[in-house]
Amino acid sequence: MIEAIKNWKLHVLVLILVIVAEWIGAFSFPIGPGKVVLLPMLYALIMGIFSGPKFLKLANHKDMIDAGSLIGVTLMLLMAKYGTTVGPNIPMILRTSPALILQEFGNLGTVIIGVPVAVYLGLRRETIGAAHSIAREPNVALIGDIYGLDTPEGQGVMGVYICGTVFGTIFFGLMATFTAALGIFHPLALAMASGVGSASMMTASVGALSAMFPEIADKIQALGAASNMLSGLDGVYMSLWMALPMTEWLYRKFYKMKYGTYPSQSAVREG
Amino acid sequence: MKIREVLAVLIIIGIITLVGNFVGANIPMIDAIPGMIFLIAISILGVIFAKVIPVRIPAVAYIVTIGCIVTIPGFPGATIFNNWAQKVNFLALTTPILAYAGISIGKDLGVLKKTGWRILIVSFVVFIGTYIGSTIIAQIVLKFIGEI
Repeated sequence: MIEAIKNWKLHVLVLILVIVAEWIGAFSFPIGPGKVVLLPMLYALIMGIFSGPKFLKLANHKDMIDAGSLIGVTLMLLMAKYGTTVGPNIPMILRTSPALILQEFGNLGTVIIGVPVAVYLGLRRETIGAAHSIAREPNVALIGDIYGLDTPEGQGVMGVYICGTVFGTIFFGLMATFTAALGIFHPLALAMASGVGSASMMTASVGALSAMFPEIADKIQALGAASNMLSGLDGVYMSLWMALPMTEWLYRKFYKMKYGTYPSQSAVREG
Repeated sequence: MKIREVLAVLIIIGIITLVGNFVGANIPMIDAIPGMIFLIAISILGVIFAKVIPVRIPAVAYIVTIGCIVTIPGFPGATIFNNWAQKVNFLALTTPILAYAGISIGKDLGVLKKTGWRILIVSFVVFIGTYIGSTIIAQIVLKFIGEI
C-alpha cells in the first residue's frame, strides 16, 4: 500500500475528477411521475473508467492497481459517516426492525426470477452460482467452499460478481431512482432494499434516494446502512440454508421444462 | 495494514473530500475540518480495535459500530459529534471513493468480456430480483407496523 500512497499522480487525478464531478453537480430530469437523479459519484466513476489506458490514457496499469489497493481504506470514512448517521436514528431503526429483518428474505426473489432466465439463456450448472444470490464476497466464498471456483458453478458466481463490481454502482443508482420514480414504493422501503448488495451498491442507491427525498435523507441513509450491515451478517446463512437448496430445486424443474429431461447428477465436491 | 499507512490514506482522502465538499455542497473547508478529523479518528480507532481484539471481525464493522455508539442520543458529547459529522456531506464522501473505484475498474473490463453477455443479463436480473423482492417485503411490513 505504501507504493499506492506515494502515487501522487493518482491522487491528483482523483482530486481533479472529484472537482469536475462536484462542479457539474447533481442533475435531475423528470420521468413519469417522479424524477431521475444523476449524482457526482456516477460521473466520477465513469470518468475514472475512461481515464484508463484503453481510453484517455491518463491512468496506466500501475495507477489502476494502486487505486484498487486503496478502495478498502477509502470506504472507512464513509463507514464512519454511516455510523454517525445510524446513531441518532437508533430509536427509528429499532421501531422498524421487523421490516428490516424480514426484507432480508427478499434475496429469495433473486432465485425465483434468476433461475428461469439463466436456464432459458442456455446456462447449465453456471445457473447455480449465478442465480442463487446477489454474488457479493460472502456468496463467492460460499460457492468456492461448496463447489470450488474453477467449476461451472464457480464461473457463474464469479461472472455475476464481476458484473456487480463493474456495473453494480451504476445499475443500483439508476435502479433506485427509476423504481422510486414509479411512485409505487415508499422511499423507506427502497432504502431498506438498498442494503442487499455491496457497500458501494448501497451507497449508490441510498445516494440517489437521498437526493430525491432530501427531507428524509438521514432516515434513508440510516436504514440503508443498517440493512447493509444485516445483509453482511446473515448473507452466508441465507444462501446456505435457503437460497442454494431452492436454486438447486428450481434448476431441476426448469431444466426439465426446457430440455425434457432432468440434468445429470451434479459434481458436488463434498456432500 | 500498518496504522500509519491507513492514517496517511485517510488524510489524503479527507483532503480530497473537503475540496469536493466545498465545490459540491458549498460547505467551507474550515467548517468541515472538525467533522473530517472526527471521522478519521473513528476509522483509526476501528482499525486499532480490529488489530487488538482477537476475534476476527473486519475493521469496517468496528468503524460503523463506534460511529453509531458515540452519536446515539444521550452518549456524552453525542450532540457535538453529530453536528461535526453533519458538516461533512454524505455524497461528498462517496465521490472520491468512486473515482478510485472507476480508475481501478478499468482492469476488470477485459475479464468481463470473457464471461459473456448471458452472465451479464443474468446479473441484471439478479440485481433487480433481489432489490424488488426486498422492497416489496419491506413495504408490506412497514405498512403493517404502521411506520409508513
